[in-house]
Amino acid sequence: MSLVHINILIAFAVSLTGLLMHRSHLMSALLCLEGMMLSLFILATLTILSTHFTLANMMPIILLVFAACEAAIGLALLVMVSNTYGTDYVQNLNLLQC
Amino acid sequence: MNLFTSSTLLTLLMLITPVMMSSTDFYKNNKYQHYVKNMTLLAFITSLVPMTMFIHTNQEMLISNWHWTTIHTLKLTLSFKMDYFSLMFMPVALFITWSIMEFSMWYMHSDPHINQFFKYLLIFLITMLILVTANNLFQLFIGWEGVGIMSFLLISWWFGRTDANTAALQAILYNRIGDIGFLLSMAWFLHNTNTWSLQQIFMLSQNPPTLPLLGLTLAAAGKSAQFGLHPWLPSAMEGPTPVSALLHSSTMVVAGIFLLIRFHPLTENNKLIQTMMLSLGALTTLFTAICALTQNDIKKIIAFSTSSQLGLMMTTLGLNQPHLTFLHICTHAFFKAMLFLCSGSIIHNLNNEQDIRKMGGLYKILPFTTTALIIGCFALTGMPFLTGFYSKDLIIETATSSYTNAWALLLTLTATSMTAIYSTRIIFFTLLEQPRFPPLMNINETDPMLINPIKRLLIGSIFAGFILSNSMPPMNTPLMTMPLHLKLTALTVTTLGFVLAFEINTYSKNLKYPYSSDSIKFSTLLGYFPTIMHRLSPHLVLTMSQKLATSLLDLTWMETALPKTTALIQLKASTLTSNQKGLIKLYFLSFLITMTLSMLLFNYPE
Repeated sequence: MSLVHINILIAFAVSLTGLLMHRSHLMSALLCLEGMMLSLFILATLTILSTHFTLANMMPIILLVFAACEAAIGLALLVMVSNTYGTDYVQNLNLLQC
Repeated sequence: MNLFTSSTLLTLLMLITPVMMSSTDFYKNNKYQHYVKNMTLLAFITSLVPMTMFIHTNQEMLISNWHWTTIHTLKLTLSFKMDYFSLMFMPVALFITWSIMEFSMWYMHSDPHINQFFKYLLIFLITMLILVTANNLFQLFIGWEGVGIMSFLLISWWFGRTDANTAALQAILYNRIGDIGFLLSMAWFLHNTNTWSLQQIFMLSQNPPTLPLLGLTLAAAGKSAQFGLHPWLPSAMEGPTPVSALLHSSTMVVAGIFLLIRFHPLTENNKLIQTMMLSLGALTTLFTAICALTQNDIKKIIAFSTSSQLGLMMTTLGLNQPHLTFLHICTHAFFKAMLFLCSGSIIHNLNNEQDIRKMGGLYKILPFTTTALIIGCFALTGMPFLTGFYSKDLIIETATSSYTNAWALLLTLTATSMTAIYSTRIIFFTLLEQPRFPPLMNINETDPMLINPIKRLLIGSIFAGFILSNSMPPMNTPLMTMPLHLKLTALTVTTLGFVLAFEINTYSKNLKYPYSSDSIKFSTLLGYFPTIMHRLSPHLVLTMSQKLATSLLDLTWMETALPKTTALIQLKASTLTSNQKGLIKLYFLSFLITMTLSMLLFNYPE
């Protein structure tokens, strides 16, 4: 694998780790989710352009659209949580606990 | 060819006839009682024939009638051993039973089941004679169990009364504990000497180890109310007075002592058993004499007196004097039965009052009973030349001049003086002082069925000692010389007891104790023995068995160990692993670890 790919993949891995190991704020999880999306977009664009895979030229743009929608929903959920609890600590999300 | 065999068997057969008549109509009418009494009288006269032949010519006989079975090498027959002991005991027992049957025709006159009472007394007499004449242990055991059963049926004669039922059950239980020892000895003898017949046992085991003799001592302790197995005897006074007079004073309770007398060739070689018998007897005689000092029921005082005399008999056996013990059995039977008959006369005349604190002043009212009671008490304490003297004084002389345990001797002497003390207590409370019973009592003693038995036993209490000790052939050399102070020991302690008792009795004009000391409580509560043993040990045993059987075995091992534990583990595991806790961070972290692990694993295929 070339160095560029490894770079982007490490960025993706770091964002994934940040998503899965967030400590107290939901915002950090959403930010890491955006980071994952960004690194995936860059990786896909670079790969498709360097392999001249013309038919898949649309894929990163559509991925970006869906990522934007998803970010909006995530932010809406965050706003709802912040309305109820005042903060966005994840320890407040325990309604399903038995 | 003489009359020995035929008169012996005729005696035994004669007594069975009224029992067999009980299935006919004759059983239902009033003549049955006279019939039974007359049969006993005739059996007594018939049994005088072998006794006289024995006294005259020293003839003993072994009657082996019927070969019942042979199991491998064990031969069981129906055999009767007519030797010194059984020949002399049979007439005595029959005489006393005859007198008691005549007395109970007066005492139980108004009882609706009087015929059944006489039948029970007769069956008791038959089993006692089986016991006494048995030549093998099997037949002896038949007689042994028979007297135990009849004792149960007769003590609970008035079975509507709870105390009577408890007392009968207590008698059976304590006798059963003694039976364990009996069965142990039977098993030992069967295993080691291959037989249950006495002749072969005496030939084959001259020096037996202690175990079978220990079993026999336990059997005697159970049947003859030695210390540790004694509470049934005072409780057995719940039965009617003729029952107390026959069973629990003269006949049944000496069965244990009789067993040990039968085995005297074995015990005379074993010093350990002799010491044990000596100590047990001395302890019994003192303990029961202490308990008799403060009882308030006249029958219980006489019952404890019986127990004390049984301890004295056991002590004599421990001194290796079986023939002297036997003489004491015979003489004791006379005056003890008479004491019970006198107390029966007093009880019936005072309208069933048994508490001596409510009797008194009977000296002028019942002159004949008074005479008999006083002579009986004197004979009991060993007044010189009455009946008790010939056996009791000889026992004390033998004890003081033999190489024996000083502690046992001291206990026996103390118990002898206590005999005088409680005898004085009986005389003082029932006969002397002012009357303490309600004034409208119908007191008379003119019925000949009451007077004649007491008269006969009175003559027996005065003369039987003299006649018996001069008729019985001597079996060991009597001790002829001893220092004066040893000779007079029994007389001295008895006189001391009398003087002390008269002194104390004049102080107790009022019947209430103002201050009760610990010694009084010890004596009145029978040494705390029934209180402790009848409640505590069954409670401990039952709680232990409940813990073992129910808690340990049932609840724990069979219920909880596998089934409930499995259920509990399932429950805990399921609650642990299957709930939503909202642990988002934990879930994300585990996802990360899985991803990392899979990437590592699938990138390094070697």
